[in-house]
Amino acid sequence: MKPSAQLLELRGISKWFSGVRVLEGVDFEVRAAEVHALVGENGAGKSTLMNVVSGIVAADAGQMLWEGQPVRLRSPREAQDLGITFVHQELALAPQLSAAENIFLGRHPAGGGWVRWREIYDRARELLSGLGHTIDARRLVADLSLAERQLVEIARALAFRARLIIMDEPTAPLAEQDAEGLFRTIRNLRERGVSVIFISHRLKEIFQVADRVTVLRDGKRVLTTEVASASVDGLVRAMVGTELSAHVAPEAAAGVAGEEAIRVEGPVRFAVRRGEVVGFAGLAGAGRTELLEWLFGVGKQAGQIFVNGRPVKVRRPLDAIRHGMALVPDDRKAKGLVLGATLHQNIALASGRRRWFIRAARERQAAGQLLADLRIKAAGLDQRVLYLSGGNQQKAVLAKWLYAGARVFLLDEPTRGIDVRSKAEIYDLVRGLASRGAAVLLASSELDELLRLADRIVVMHRGRIAGELVRAEATEERIMQLATGGVQ
Amino acid sequence: MSPAALLRRFGPLLGLLALCAVLGTLSDHFLTFDNLINVFRQSAVNALLSLGQLVVIITAGIDLSVGSILGLSCVLVALLLKAGVPPALAVLAALGIGGALGSVNGLLLTKLHLPHPFIPTLGMMNVARGLALVICGGFPISELPSSFRFWGAGSVGWIPAPVIVVVVFCVVFHVFLTRTTVGRDIYAIGGNPQAALLSGVPVDARLILVYALSGVTAAAGAIVLAGRMNSGFPLAGMGSELDSIAAVIIGGASFFGGVGTVGGTLVGALIMGVLRNGLNLMNVSAYWQTVVIGVVIVAAVWVDVVRKRAAEKGRAAVN
Repeated sequence: MKPSAQLLELRGISKWFSGVRVLEGVDFEVRAAEVHALVGENGAGKSTLMNVVSGIVAADAGQMLWEGQPVRLRSPREAQDLGITFVHQELALAPQLSAAENIFLGRHPAGGGWVRWREIYDRARELLSGLGHTIDARRLVADLSLAERQLVEIARALAFRARLIIMDEPTAPLAEQDAEGLFRTIRNLRERGVSVIFISHRLKEIFQVADRVTVLRDGKRVLTTEVASASVDGLVRAMVGTELSAHVAPEAAAGVAGEEAIRVEGPVRFAVRRGEVVGFAGLAGAGRTELLEWLFGVGKQAGQIFVNGRPVKVRRPLDAIRHGMALVPDDRKAKGLVLGATLHQNIALASGRRRWFIRAARERQAAGQLLADLRIKAAGLDQRVLYLSGGNQQKAVLAKWLYAGARVFLLDEPTRGIDVRSKAEIYDLVRGLASRGAAVLLASSELDELLRLADRIVVMHRGRIAGELVRAEATEERIMQLATGGVQ
Repeated sequence: MSPAALLRRFGPLLGLLALCAVLGTLSDHFLTFDNLINVFRQSAVNALLSLGQLVVIITAGIDLSVGSILGLSCVLVALLLKAGVPPALAVLAALGIGGALGSVNGLLLTKLHLPHPFIPTLGMMNVARGLALVICGGFPISELPSSFRFWGAGSVGWIPAPVIVVVVFCVVFHVFLTRTTVGRDIYAIGGNPQAALLSGVPVDARLILVYALSGVTAAAGAIVLAGRMNSGFPLAGMGSELDSIAAVIIGGASFFGGVGTVGGTLVGALIMGVLRNGLNLMNVSAYWQTVVIGVVIVAAVWVDVVRKRAAEKGRAAVN
């Protein structure tokens, strides 16, 4: 049979996860020797689609064709045998082995039970130099830079005769010049007839390296076009959806902002006043979580923090708490709660550190009041938080900080993975905090949430502030443009 | 309290009572007053070590050095007494030495960022034992003042002094763990160190304290043991770190941290003491006693696992 010009074709791919539709009838094609960019907001379905292509998850509906032939992948191994390799964000290399060993990991050329080391090193050298780079194949992966490790992954894909390489945000951790090198490698791959699916949040990069681009939104394909006839604005519109752009938050309780509560000077500069909710937007990896954790004393100091106008030193979370700060972390189970402990123990954990003995009766009374105020559904104060729903767990984290009397709230994705009702209640709570004079820093990947709650929105891009929008001028498009580094 | 919670709380105690009932029927001598007092006296050293071990295990740690710290403290306190130091002062010095050695464990763990408490305490286990042997040249230091021997061999009325020591330590540790903010911090560290840190718990300082406490209880064990044996001997407490770990685990604490009580641990230490005593009375050889203890440790934890699984299944059915 004559090989089709289409290397890969997906027809009507759908996928549900526990009742939630993440992909809906997606069509997607990759030509032979093509660099095809795939873009979309967080949660648009890019990763799921690529997991289907690489055999990690099975589609619930739809068909996949490889060189015109229908195929059904049951495992990543089967995808690899076809010639499809996924280069993940977190590289899957064994750091204590050499570059060459990693390239042939699991498939060492061997004869009669003996590994043929000379052949491994020779072929690894060939593959790496074929990619236009000089990496000593004997060096340990642990000693290689991130960019070099990516090359090892790509060489590994080629060693398995890959015809299609999927790269999930390969440039996210790279410095500018390393990204340039990666683009050269990608073009080199295309010249050899290898196709690449390139996922990136940085729209500018697509125009540097890709032939075509497909946009996903809410699990659907909204656009596939030649890059030559596309524009950054057009892509952003497709990603966000035009019908949303006119949406203005109804609950815009224009906060009566008071005095400055917290200010940061350094590589990142901003200030938040009492009674103000300041949103922090940005793509995954833009540095929002790092910023909030840094303010809270986790990690290296990278600037000066002022609380109530006075410079303060925050070396550890306890210092931050003593200055009235509270952190609601992005991962409540890993960082926010002691899951095996009771509601009472969790709520009391951040306070009362100045005294020796626990005042149990007083604590129980106050914690019980918070349970009622925040509408935390639990069997009682002695229920272990492990058994609460996500929404109630998140409210328990907030209750801890309310009990500790915090005045500056650092909220990192406070509504991630919680039900709609709890979400609405947490929105109310956030506005309520501000109206009672607290300063709120709200990092969220949901633009809708930021537009509803924030008085101002700071947009971050690669660890820096790309711009700041007051609520009147903030739209999803403006935010996405700044977040993708599209416009200054 | 739910039946499951009751069982968790009093399960080890029920086990102890059942064990006593069985041994009582098998041996006429077991349930006599003299023998039970004897069991308490014999269990005292392990009970003391177990209290420190409990606090460590609540933080999801482990202290392998308690037996060796006991041995070194034992030799040092005997040397101090021989040098004419007043017994009260020698006792305080020994507790201080134990605490200092323990805090070295904590410092190594937190400041050198060693990957697991197993490492610093394994090192300390060897270092302290070696120093104990070096200091006294391998020979025991015998004939200690009688006012010091009181702590091991004396009694107030019919209550042995070691039992009083254990009770005092138990009360202090119980209040410390359940009623103080530092005690709550310790449970939180064991439950989720990351969340504890982000809630303002000074995790490193608490861990150093925890290992220091374990050193203090090891030294207390040394004082009781030296008093009872009328000797400071360098091999004192060989292998007792494992007995203390066993008592804590039998007493319902979890290696994963965040769980454990003083009451449970005391019961765990008594179960081991009763078992040894009962088997002695029945003329079971020391070799077989070791086998039985091993089986009991595994069985006690297995029962806990079964109970936990049943509880989780029950909960899954409700939801």
